Amino acid sequence: MRDVAFGQYYPSNSVLHKADPRTKLIAGIVYIVAVFLCDSYWSYLACFSFLLIACLVSKVPLKSILKSIKAVLFVVLITVIINVFCYKTGTVLWSWWILTVTDGGLIFASKMAMRLIFLVVSTSLITFTTTPVTLTDGLESLLTPLKWIKFPVHDVAIIMSIALRFIPSFTEEIDKIMMAQKARGACFDNGNIFKRAKALLPVLIPLFVSAFRRADELAMAMDARCYNATDKRTKMKRLKFAWRDLFLALATAVFLALIIMLKCGFFGLL
Amino acid sequence: MQIEIKDLSYVYGKKTPFEKAALHGVSLTVSEGDSVGIIGSTGSGKSTLIQHLNGLIKLQSGSLKVFDIDLSAKKPDYKTLRKKLGMLFQYPEYQLFADTVEADVKFGPVNFGFSKEDADKAAKEAIEMVGLDYDEVKDRSPLELSGGQKRRAAIAGILACRPEILVLDEPTAGLDPAGKKDMLDLIRSLKGSFLKSVITVSHNMDEIAEYCDRVILLHDGVLLSDATPTELFYGEDVEKYGLSLPHVVKIVKLLRDKGVVIPEVLNEKDLVKELKLYLERGRKNA
Ligand SMILES: Nc1ncnc2c1ncn2[C@@H]1O[C@H](COP(=O)(O)OP(=O)(O)OP(=O)(O)O)[C@@H](O)[C@H]1O
Ligand SMILES: [Mg+2]
Repeated sequence: MRDVAFGQYYPSNSVLHKADPRTKLIAGIVYIVAVFLCDSYWSYLACFSFLLIACLVSKVPLKSILKSIKAVLFVVLITVIINVFCYKTGTVLWSWWILTVTDGGLIFASKMAMRLIFLVVSTSLITFTTTPVTLTDGLESLLTPLKWIKFPVHDVAIIMSIALRFIPSFTEEIDKIMMAQKARGACFDNGNIFKRAKALLPVLIPLFVSAFRRADELAMAMDARCYNATDKRTKMKRLKFAWRDLFLALATAVFLALIIMLKCGFFGLL
Repeated sequence: MQIEIKDLSYVYGKKTPFEKAALHGVSLTVSEGDSVGIIGSTGSGKSTLIQHLNGLIKLQSGSLKVFDIDLSAKKPDYKTLRKKLGMLFQYPEYQLFADTVEADVKFGPVNFGFSKEDADKAAKEAIEMVGLDYDEVKDRSPLELSGGQKRRAAIAGILACRPEILVLDEPTAGLDPAGKKDMLDLIRSLKGSFLKSVITVSHNMDEIAEYCDRVILLHDGVLLSDATPTELFYGEDVEKYGLSLPHVVKIVKLLRDKGVVIPEVLNEKDLVKELKLYLERGRKNA
């Protein structure tokens, strides 16, 4: 259970780790927009290089990053298959019954796959380099304008940070309960899908019971310390922009400009 | 030899930044009839060690054999192993899940392929063994029971499988004094029936001194001592490892400091007997 690499903090002291979460979040959004603007091979290459540089700078081992791709490989595969068969332009390469494969389809499918992979890697790079708590702090700060339309930004942020905070506790709990049931002869890894789902009941029920218990206890502990979600709350660790944030922002801006120029065909030659 | 551990080492989160070595070259054997206690401060690797015994943790290095089942083999026979080696986890009440106590207790036997009648019979016997009223609790939800009753129901779930070795991870944590005593007496009384050996992890030195005939001391994942309780508590300075002495041993040591000649005893009954002998001797000499 502990091997879930997707969305896990990887401690290190790189520039990306030290950067302000807001910078990273905005850069992430800009990058995603850029990925969807891509059409030429050159722009894909640009996206890839930008991501690769970010990964190298982050000092997160490539192995962990590849693991996060592995987690969504299935989704990528499905997308590729659907696109290969449904996108029917260009010359037909192969056809059988209702299935036809065209070169246009192949190209489109591989572009979709690359987009998906870029999306996953870029978002997991953010979670690899930012602790969940900092991330919600950043999100809360970015969403502050929504307070004007009476959106409960702080409440949502605290709900999110509690949820994130409990993910490791739950994986630990699942580990423990699974072990206890395995010791009583439960088997989780054979049989068909229905059998497996049924085999999970002895894990899920105690998990839910303990989740409710924990929620209750946490609510009580927060009450006991007079928690209330008013506007006047201060932060122990305030977010501050630094020079590296400016640098990161500039790099992202240059990257976005490059993608837009590629899209509009400023280099008519390409 | 029921359990043979040789040079067992284990690292959590290998090759990640969270790498944590939990066991270093632990070797020990357990033979039929042993009552082994495992002690050590928190994080010393006790739970990690016992979770190896029924294959819940994959062997990383070293070798491990339980009932001639070789756990370094490619596909060890986990089912047989887990049937014959019952394991009770810390706070086992969280493993209860079924609608009724009876169904929960039967979970193990059914998984291990008992026939329906056998499973029913085993469940009934196990529930009675742990001192619960079968007719009263069998149709109740395990979640409605009190903490102590839940613990009993969880133990019944293990005993219903008729294990030959029982491994207990802090079986008395969180129980009231009477509950603690009941629990340990129950296990002691079962030893010799289907149950051949018992391994207990505990932070309570009094229990270890009284109920075990061998104590294993772990410290930072290293096995420091494997001796009888007398040898350990009178011979080694366990306080150095963040542990305390059983209170009887503390009293004996204090008495000896005051010049009282008294043998190495481990429980209250023996202490009282020896003190009485000592006093009688004193009276005779006077
Ligand atoms: N699932 C896990 N992942 C990573 N590290 C772990 C895990 N379980 C235990 N550890 C670490 O391994 C070491 C040994 O842990 P273990 O649970 O075996 O200790 P213990 O002796 O049972 O302690 P306690 O008396 O508190 O139950 C500890 O330092 C712990 O932090
Ligand atoms: Mg433990």
